[in-house]
Amino acid sequence: MPRERAAARGPATLLLVLFLLGMCASFMALKAKTDTIVRKKVPGSSIIYIPSGKFLKYATFGYSALAADLIYLWAIQYYSTPTIDDRFDHLDHVFAIIADLDPAYLDPYETGALIATAEARDIKLAFKILDNGFAKNPKEWLLPFEAGHIAMMDLKDYDLARQYFEKCMNLPGAPDFTRRLYANALYKRGDLETSWQTWLEIYNTAPDERTKKIASNHLYQVKSAIDTNRLKDAVGKFQERAGRLPEELADLVRAGILDKLPQDLDGQDYVYDPKTGGVKAATSPWKR
Amino acid sequence: MGDAIRIENLKKSFRLGFIPKTREILKGISFSVKEGEIFGYLGPNGAGKTTTIKCLLGLIFPDAGTIEIFGQPHLASRARQALGFLPENPYFYDYLTATEFLAFYADLFGLAREEKNERIARLLKLVGLERAASLRLRKYSRGMLQRVGLAQALINDPKLVILDEPLGGMDPLGRKEIRDIIVRFKDEGKTVFFTSHILQDIEMICDHVAIIVGGRVVKQGALQDLVSEKVLFTELTVSGVPPEAFRGLGEGLSVQGDRVFLKILEAGRVDDALALVREKNGKVVSLSPRTETLEDIFVETVTGQ
Amino acid sequence: MRIWAIAGITFKEAKRDRILYLLFFFAAVAILASRVLAILTVGDRVKIIKDVGLASISIFGVLMAVLIGTSLVYKEIDKKTIFTLLSKPLHRAEFILGKFFGLVLTLLVMTAGMSLIFLVIVYLHTFRIEWTMLVAIAYIFLELVLVTAVAILFSSFSTPILSSIFSLAFYLIGHLSWGLELLIKKMSAGAGRTAAQFLYMFLPDLENFNFKTEVVHNLPIPAGIYLSSFLYGVFYTAFILALAVIIFRRRDFI
Repeated sequence: MPRERAAARGPATLLLVLFLLGMCASFMALKAKTDTIVRKKVPGSSIIYIPSGKFLKYATFGYSALAADLIYLWAIQYYSTPTIDDRFDHLDHVFAIIADLDPAYLDPYETGALIATAEARDIKLAFKILDNGFAKNPKEWLLPFEAGHIAMMDLKDYDLARQYFEKCMNLPGAPDFTRRLYANALYKRGDLETSWQTWLEIYNTAPDERTKKIASNHLYQVKSAIDTNRLKDAVGKFQERAGRLPEELADLVRAGILDKLPQDLDGQDYVYDPKTGGVKAATSPWKR
Repeated sequence: MGDAIRIENLKKSFRLGFIPKTREILKGISFSVKEGEIFGYLGPNGAGKTTTIKCLLGLIFPDAGTIEIFGQPHLASRARQALGFLPENPYFYDYLTATEFLAFYADLFGLAREEKNERIARLLKLVGLERAASLRLRKYSRGMLQRVGLAQALINDPKLVILDEPLGGMDPLGRKEIRDIIVRFKDEGKTVFFTSHILQDIEMICDHVAIIVGGRVVKQGALQDLVSEKVLFTELTVSGVPPEAFRGLGEGLSVQGDRVFLKILEAGRVDDALALVREKNGKVVSLSPRTETLEDIFVETVTGQ
Repeated sequence: MRIWAIAGITFKEAKRDRILYLLFFFAAVAILASRVLAILTVGDRVKIIKDVGLASISIFGVLMAVLIGTSLVYKEIDKKTIFTLLSKPLHRAEFILGKFFGLVLTLLVMTAGMSLIFLVIVYLHTFRIEWTMLVAIAYIFLELVLVTAVAILFSSFSTPILSSIFSLAFYLIGHLSWGLELLIKKMSAGAGRTAAQFLYMFLPDLENFNFKTEVVHNLPIPAGIYLSSFLYGVFYTAFILALAVIIFRRRDFI
């Protein structure tokens, strides 16, 4: 190798090698020094005129998936930098680009929605991202699941949640609990009949004891709701007719408003408070 | 007079190929060139002539051996200042004109402007390129490139001129011109070291010769020592004498018109033949003793190895 | 001096290379095209022109340095013009340095040309001469000088195609130094991290010469970095050239 033979020859080569090492040490030291100098970084400023994802897809010559990866990686770093105040201004655009470049890449949809909900507080955008993802990947249960979750937790829009869970529960690979979430959303929305049907189905097809118990508890809850509503209605009718609250639930039967008193899933009677006219279940569904 | 070049036990191997296989090119070359002489370096292709020259010039670093130029180590600056080199099949920057080209090399030697211009003009005249001086080298013929290369080799007025196949590819007139220039170098006190395949030229101008075969110097010495004066045969051309008269005197009798060609092997018979011509009142057109030529020596040496 | 003699003919040779003018043409087109691109933006038009202009000077400058630099020494060896040259009392180091300075001179002329076009276009939009642009361009040029040294280094022992690939790789690695820094932050302590740290300090950080963002957005540039980056460039270039000389010195020209 040339270097070995050079080293065997003369003082000039020695000087050169020393010079080489000296320069190396110098520039490494300078790099250390330069690193300490803080430069104002505005990494996001150039997003303003990054063209649309469609254009980028052609511009990246078939490496669009790679480009998607790189932009996604960059985006994660960018959005985790708390010092950039206006970083959420183009959240939509950035994740739209990633989606255009690699529509089947699922992580960015979730991450984008997460950032939108938790940090940017723009729930509409989260739905937009997830809807877009689902439109491009109609077999992925995770995306509508996430959307339903957000609808349930953050928006408390149970109808919307119901729609999303309904979408995802029948998709391949969807776990059992998606069905349960659907049923629960129905309940929360007030769609008690359908909720009861769904919970019954879950109960009957439960693969293990735990699921059966959960389903049973929910069935109890739904039945209680149905029954207590009926009872409350009946109490109201009684009050109309008699001008006063019944003293006990049996009065309703005597008055002919109800055929018989409904009982909860465990066969217990409902509890009636004659002072307020309120009806409730004997037990909490979760403490059975 | 000292040695212009002194090479002792020069060895060089190359590691070639992807799986390095060592090939020994120079196996211990030793020879010396005296100042002021013209030295011819001969050998078959692949013997190591060009490798020797490249070692001499510092283009290749030898594995072993010593090389001295005018008593200096060959890589010393003073040694380099004293030599000029013309490579085989020279190729130069073809976008330069001859003048610009020589000016560049003159700058490398740090010649002052006046001296530079004067010398360039003189050299162009010497090699016969004055009229083509402002033409770009791209337009030069092979012979012209050879001449401008020679001019470049002389730009520093070197004491030692090294030429690798200087006469290759030139027409007979060109070869004569170069030969004359080389002889003129000797008259100016320069030393010339060159390689060539054209043995007649070497025979014509060299003082000393070395023959290298298979990486070794197998024969060297003064040309006149190597080539004996022994006459191999004599060629005689006569006219005005009937051919039958010469029968028995020699071999290879042939007739053309009124001329008779005769090849006489024995020296003594030549006198007999001449006497016969005088007797018959004929005319001797030519008498050429054919001695051993360098080509004979060369072929004998090379095939003997 | 001998180095300048070689630099002189290298300059003469380089400016005859048609690639130079082709790239210059593309750079000019790109800078002019930024004018058209600007119409498509919503918002600040001048920023696009400045960004595209500076990027063009940078990219095309690097291409010039690499494409011409990688053939510079190789051509001499291949065409054997180097034989007559190196048999003169010329140090091999002088040869390398001469080639280097010749090419740097060529790039200086080309960069000046591209910059002129750029500044004119910017002037036509802002009716001001933006002197800060020159700061960015000056450091772009310093980056080009370093890339030139690298191209010549590879040219002295490798074919033009391989040399180009290595040189462009050097450029790419130089701009991804921040990636290595990020990676190191996420590594746990150990031999791997120490090796990575050494690599981080040794590999070039070409972002040190990148003031494009600051200049375009009128951000303040900390004073210390001018000298720091300049010296970094000088020392790294010297390192590369020393390496080239060491490799070239003991080379046999078969």
